[in-house]
Amino acid sequence: MTVGNKILETNSVTMRFGGLTALDGVNYSIQEGEVRGIIGPNGAGKTTLFNVITGELKPTSGKIFLRGTDITSLPPHAICQEGLSRTFQLTFIFPEMTVYESIWVGVNSRARRPWNPFILAHQAADLSQRTQEICHLVGLEEKMNELASNLSYGDQKILEIAMALSTQPSILLLDEPTQGVSPQETDNITEVVEKLSSKMTIILIEHSMDVVLRLCSSIAVLNEGRVVAEGSPKEISKNEEVQRVYLGEMS
Amino acid sequence: MNGRLEKLEERRETPTYLVLLFLLLLLVMGIVLPKGARSLVTHMMIFCILAMGYDVCFGLTNQCSLGHAVFFGGGAYGVVLSMLHLKVGILPAIFFSLGAGLVLAVIMGLICVRLSEAYFVIITAIFFAVFHLFAMDLTWLTGGDDGLSLKLPSISLGPVNLSLYHPMVNYYFVLTFLAFSYLILNRIVRSPMGKIFVSIRENEKRLQFLGYDVFRYKLMAFIVSGIFSALSGGLYALTLRYGSADFFSFHWSIMPIVWCLIGGLGTLAGPWIGVIIMSLFQYYVSAWWTYYLILFGIIILMILRISRKGILGYLISRRFT
Repeated sequence: MTVGNKILETNSVTMRFGGLTALDGVNYSIQEGEVRGIIGPNGAGKTTLFNVITGELKPTSGKIFLRGTDITSLPPHAICQEGLSRTFQLTFIFPEMTVYESIWVGVNSRARRPWNPFILAHQAADLSQRTQEICHLVGLEEKMNELASNLSYGDQKILEIAMALSTQPSILLLDEPTQGVSPQETDNITEVVEKLSSKMTIILIEHSMDVVLRLCSSIAVLNEGRVVAEGSPKEISKNEEVQRVYLGEMS
Repeated sequence: MNGRLEKLEERRETPTYLVLLFLLLLLVMGIVLPKGARSLVTHMMIFCILAMGYDVCFGLTNQCSLGHAVFFGGGAYGVVLSMLHLKVGILPAIFFSLGAGLVLAVIMGLICVRLSEAYFVIITAIFFAVFHLFAMDLTWLTGGDDGLSLKLPSISLGPVNLSLYHPMVNYYFVLTFLAFSYLILNRIVRSPMGKIFVSIRENEKRLQFLGYDVFRYKLMAFIVSGIFSALSGGLYALTLRYGSADFFSFHWSIMPIVWCLIGGLGTLAGPWIGVIIMSLFQYYVSAWWTYYLILFGIIILMILRISRKGILGYLISRRFT
């Protein structure tokens, strides 16, 4: 996929919770096909930005455009139907459903009549094929029949990604996919995201610089609800302000 | 590579063949049972329909409604009023009771389903209270506490005339509806719609981010539930040959919850076990001890202490561990 038009754009989005300003006039845009990292210290507003984009929160002011259409006031399910999908920082799955079924439900949401009561769910051949494809893509095919709650935390993180993929998104928002998992699992997850990066636009919130540098073609730095820097990984690591707010904090 | 969804259904849902066997048993019991027991079983089968209907709402989509007495009463009066005033036969009267359930469920659902858990419980309870009061007060329409009696015309199926005054006919009449209700609901549970219902129970918010309008599907479940609860009310009115404000009483909101909790939430046929236990208890134990409900409460607590999934939920999950 070639890098092209602006696919997602936020127009001075501000989000206030009472006296706290979580996002302060964020102007941000991402090109089609890009893999964009968002970094920043804790409380910088990264997840809030995701929540606002996906419709979970309505911004206090500002607008969000997906391929030029205003999605600011749409509910989460409608935004998902527009081809924007997300994962959650803390795993947010269907605990008593299997891996296969969790993904199946997402695949089904794009069916012509997802609620069809006149067929049996397992008879929809196109859906089961698509579900299996996704299982293979993320490497969960061995665990298709396991309950989601029985998976290891790393596999649950992969399931999160698989569920987000199941709705056939053209833009994928990943919220700290490698947070709290072992180095081995981090490698797995990074590999999965790398595979996806050739197929869709990805925005990635991540704390691990290794992962960000490996995956992302460009990085935005968020601090106190503002985008303080944007650019290629090289430019970002040289940027003085970034070193002050983010890298400096770690040393 | 197919059959993965079926595999999961086995783990969570009642095996269909067991239920069919049980229905076959009921078919035989209709002939074998003595008169008193047969009428008890007839009542139980009617309650089983209510229990299943309620299970769609509470067990599948996790909406704990206290308003199902409205559907039960509405269904009963659908039968009674249509037969008294429109002089329709029994089968059309049943359609009136389904229609009453549909209309009431749509009205109540549009108002209640959007609300989050505790508010949903309270507002459905208020609906029940309002309807109960109306049923008591509007005696010109409902007959109030005394109720309205029915004369049942016979059902003519071609050359055969069936009279519901005959207990055996009544028994098989109800059994037919129970079997159809189960087959329809079982089919819904195993359809894509049923999968969506289960995911609502599992994680409603996540489902939104998979592109589903959760309100719409919760409303669908609520309406399906209301229609079958109304069917149960209609059959009960036909069997007792009268309808009164009692059909709107709190009893019919609470009992489905008890049945479902004992039998196993979300298992469709599980609540039948709840119905059987509770009815037998009411029938036999209440005769020698007035405060039998205390004993019953303790038994419910013990069952739920052993398994939160109720009796059938426990048995099903045991098979897979």
